[in-house]
Amino acid sequence: MAEPSIFFSEVNERQGVFHRRMFLLGGIAGLGLGALGARLAHLQIIETQRYEKLSASNQFNFRLVPPPRGLIVDRNGAILASNRPNFRLLVTREDNSTDIEGTLKTLSTFVPLDEARQLRLIKDIRQTPKRVPVSVAEDMSWEEFSAINVRAPELPGVTADMGEVRVYPHGGAFAHVIGYVAKVNREDLTPTGPNSDPILLNPGFRIGRQGVEKAFDLDLRGKAGARKVEVDANGREVRQDEAGDIPSTPGKRIELTLDVDVQNRALEVMGDESGAIVMMDCRTGDLLCMASSPSFDANRFVKGLSGPEYRALAQYERKPLLDKVMTGTYPPGSTFKPTVALAALTAGIDPEVRIHCSGGWYWGGRTWRCWKHGGHGSQNMHDAIKNSCDVYFYQTALRMGPDPIAKAAHAMGFGQIFDIGIPGQKKGVVGSREWKRKAVKREPVWQPGDSVSYGIGQGYVAVNALQLAVMTARLANGKKALNPRLIKSVGGVEMPHGDDAPDLPFSKEQLDYVRGGMVAVANDTGGTAYRQSQLGLGDIQMAGKTGTAQVRSYAGLASRSSAGVTWRLKDHNLFVAFAPVDDPRYAVAVIVEHGGLGGATAGAPRAREVMRVALMKDPELRSRIETAMPMPEAPEPMEAEGVAPGAPTVTPAPAPAPAAPAAPTTTTGGAV
Amino acid sequence: MTVSALTRPGERDRLVVKIAEIDWLFALALCLIAGAGALMMFSIAGSSWDPWAAKHLSRFALCFVLMIGLAMIDLRVWFAIAYPLYGIGLLLLVAVEVVGDVRMGAQRWLAFGPFSFQPSEIMKLGIVLALARFYHGISADSARLSWWLLVPAAMIGAPTVLVMHQPDLGTAMLIAMTGVAIVVLAGLSWRIIFAGIAAFVVAVPPLVMFVLHDYQRKRVLTFLDPESDPSGSGYHILQSKIALGSGGFFGKGYGLGSQSQLNFLPEKQTDFIFATLAEEFGFLGCFSLLFLYAAVIFMALRTSALAHSHFGRLSAAGTTATFALYVLINGAMVMGLAPVVGVPMPLLSYGGTVMLTVMIGFGLVQAVRVHRYSEVTSGKGALM
Repeated sequence: MAEPSIFFSEVNERQGVFHRRMFLLGGIAGLGLGALGARLAHLQIIETQRYEKLSASNQFNFRLVPPPRGLIVDRNGAILASNRPNFRLLVTREDNSTDIEGTLKTLSTFVPLDEARQLRLIKDIRQTPKRVPVSVAEDMSWEEFSAINVRAPELPGVTADMGEVRVYPHGGAFAHVIGYVAKVNREDLTPTGPNSDPILLNPGFRIGRQGVEKAFDLDLRGKAGARKVEVDANGREVRQDEAGDIPSTPGKRIELTLDVDVQNRALEVMGDESGAIVMMDCRTGDLLCMASSPSFDANRFVKGLSGPEYRALAQYERKPLLDKVMTGTYPPGSTFKPTVALAALTAGIDPEVRIHCSGGWYWGGRTWRCWKHGGHGSQNMHDAIKNSCDVYFYQTALRMGPDPIAKAAHAMGFGQIFDIGIPGQKKGVVGSREWKRKAVKREPVWQPGDSVSYGIGQGYVAVNALQLAVMTARLANGKKALNPRLIKSVGGVEMPHGDDAPDLPFSKEQLDYVRGGMVAVANDTGGTAYRQSQLGLGDIQMAGKTGTAQVRSYAGLASRSSAGVTWRLKDHNLFVAFAPVDDPRYAVAVIVEHGGLGGATAGAPRAREVMRVALMKDPELRSRIETAMPMPEAPEPMEAEGVAPGAPTVTPAPAPAPAAPAAPTTTTGGAV
Repeated sequence: MTVSALTRPGERDRLVVKIAEIDWLFALALCLIAGAGALMMFSIAGSSWDPWAAKHLSRFALCFVLMIGLAMIDLRVWFAIAYPLYGIGLLLLVAVEVVGDVRMGAQRWLAFGPFSFQPSEIMKLGIVLALARFYHGISADSARLSWWLLVPAAMIGAPTVLVMHQPDLGTAMLIAMTGVAIVVLAGLSWRIIFAGIAAFVVAVPPLVMFVLHDYQRKRVLTFLDPESDPSGSGYHILQSKIALGSGGFFGKGYGLGSQSQLNFLPEKQTDFIFATLAEEFGFLGCFSLLFLYAAVIFMALRTSALAHSHFGRLSAAGTTATFALYVLINGAMVMGLAPVVGVPMPLLSYGGTVMLTVMIGFGLVQAVRVHRYSEVTSGKGALM
């Protein structure tokens, strides 16, 4: 510092102060930088692992991959519910500033999106949590899909991807049994349990709503996989890390006992009629058919039904949405008579004791009419079943009282809910003294007159189609109290068989006797359903029982004929049958709502058609059909049943069957 | 050229001599820092010179030339323009209050035809020059404790309040702290210094609660508890710390920083570029960069100590203080030690205004070095 310019001592003092202070401030700056260095060392050396994890969780994201929903197949593996590819258009709200209106407007140039739908989508997207995609369009064509995929980078939050959508190849044929899947509602989501799974928020995810789809939803659902992707701060995918993917586990395959051909045929023969057809294997209890008519297309529910579409279904008087197999209950009418007969046999009533039918029976201050105005004449139990003689059963039921009948009815499966895996069964009613005391508050005492109508399946008795089929199958089986089975296997695990059941509380002779009556119904030319019950399959014969369930009071009406009556007021038409008579394999129950009087007209032909399909599909029976038939001789149709043929008598030509234009026929046996 | 040759009268006024007198090691450190900035910008743009790296480098080149040019200007000229510059800066701050543009919610910009700039930047230089000139003219005793001190108090207070009102908390703090640094360097009494520190400590909590704008208060509060709102205000701090921490000792590698490449890091090319560098080059890179900054600061301080005039000393030291404050505030912010205030890392961050200010400041520092023997009058203004 040998400069000559410093000559003020004061200046030197200023310089000294400055130097001291400068060292001080320099020191502070040095300390500050040292603190930064220490902080760096702390973050980058000591805590680095923690931040590495945070960085990785920023960078990598797992995107859920919905698992393919399990298939539902029939007993032969034919597909009843599967999945098909679906090109979807998804919009994701990335933050609150995303211009949803603008995006949708742009998208409407690629796919049809009208104003109303845009408004609804805007609301949907706003309500959905951030970064959860919302489906804007489904089932785009390949052209639409590729056009949008090309433009997607310019459209923030828009992705087009390929998802899967549930498809029911048979449309409505299985709609009531299988049910359908539909969009997940806010109410479906629960904070815990299986429905807390985040996969439910996936736009393509559907939840089971009815039938098998609902009851086995968790089995069918499978387990979601994940795709490891690298994302940027906006959650947009940058890269895919395939090595980090977790594959999804497909849902379990569910095999039903149903048969596609039988079910389809059942729905076909029902046509426009309202009702149900249930078919059961008499040996195993497997349900081959559970058709409810009219039905609806389950595929439409997957997409989401519009308001008017839904109202049209819900308001139709034939109630397509109601499952008439399990949920609809009906008075069994004359189809209840075999059960009453079994009750009578158990109660020790001699079946050969004859009762005279003159077309009505005066008792208790009124006339109890038989369906046949002219009367059946002298009837034993066999004849009474064959002819469906009301007077015989009026008197028999009155003699027994309700409790033996109720006992028999329970043994045959009435008044009971079966564990077939899907919900929706109605128990129905099986009347008894005790039941009436509890259930009918207005008049708790069982009146003898109640027994009289009970005998012909009216009054305090209501059954569903499934119970009717179970009754028929148990009767046909002749030994076991078969249980119905609908679910054959879940994910390859066989479900318990229906024949793993206790024996019926009836002797073989008793069951044979009643079955003999039913054989006569269908094969005795005088039987109530002879003409409608001919299978035309070689020597295979069907046995059955007709039934009419009254829906209005006949008091004061001149005729019970349903001709010309409003549909809603017509009688229900029921028919139960099994075949072949000599070695029963299949039992069927048919209910035709408001089908008119007498099970033969509406019920029996349909039962026959469905039965034919099942029989022809059975390889064992197929060979029997194809063997040469002996030349027809004098008809002895009941020989096989081991029923003592009654003395053949010629009866007067029977009155025409009520609702069918009938030609007079001559019976050759059974009648007296 | 020998040392003795420099003692010849007029020799030091020759341009060649002047250029040779510039601290070229210092200049090299500046180039390295700016180069590191460009390197990071190239990386986060996806290995592209656009949009930041090329512009950053060309700006730096221009500013570097400007710095050399300014270093040639005699200290007496700097002395002469000190008050006028301060006056213009103050006027413009008032003007911005009245007619300024509102950008990003703050009124900071003033438009001159196609150019727009922030008058607060002029003030960063203005306050240093004006205070240096003021202290140049008063005695050590006066600088220690006297009524004269009301003048620097007002000189610091006026721009600070105006800038704070824009509102630009970061720049206001910078101006005030630079001013205070010069006042302290000039020899303020320790009693006042300690009293001031005590008053500051007492005054800060009510200041934070009642004077700051909502967003500023929120920044301060989030800083105190960053986990309280990890996706909102705490997001910046948290993401920056993740970037730093995940870099580890050696870094993730050039171009491989997921935090910055995938935009998790906010303001990655400006205020948080240090975190970008930390992520890709780790502790080694960060430490080297801090070393460069320390070198720049201490070389500049040494320059100030060399000056013969009080004006030269104070102006060079004041400029250095501004620079050091930039580095410390930004560093502390990026590392989660200070609230998020809009203070960039000088020369490393993208942004023309701050680079221009800093390089003009270093132009002044080099001018002090080149003209360290110049006599500046002790009087009140006229050139000697």
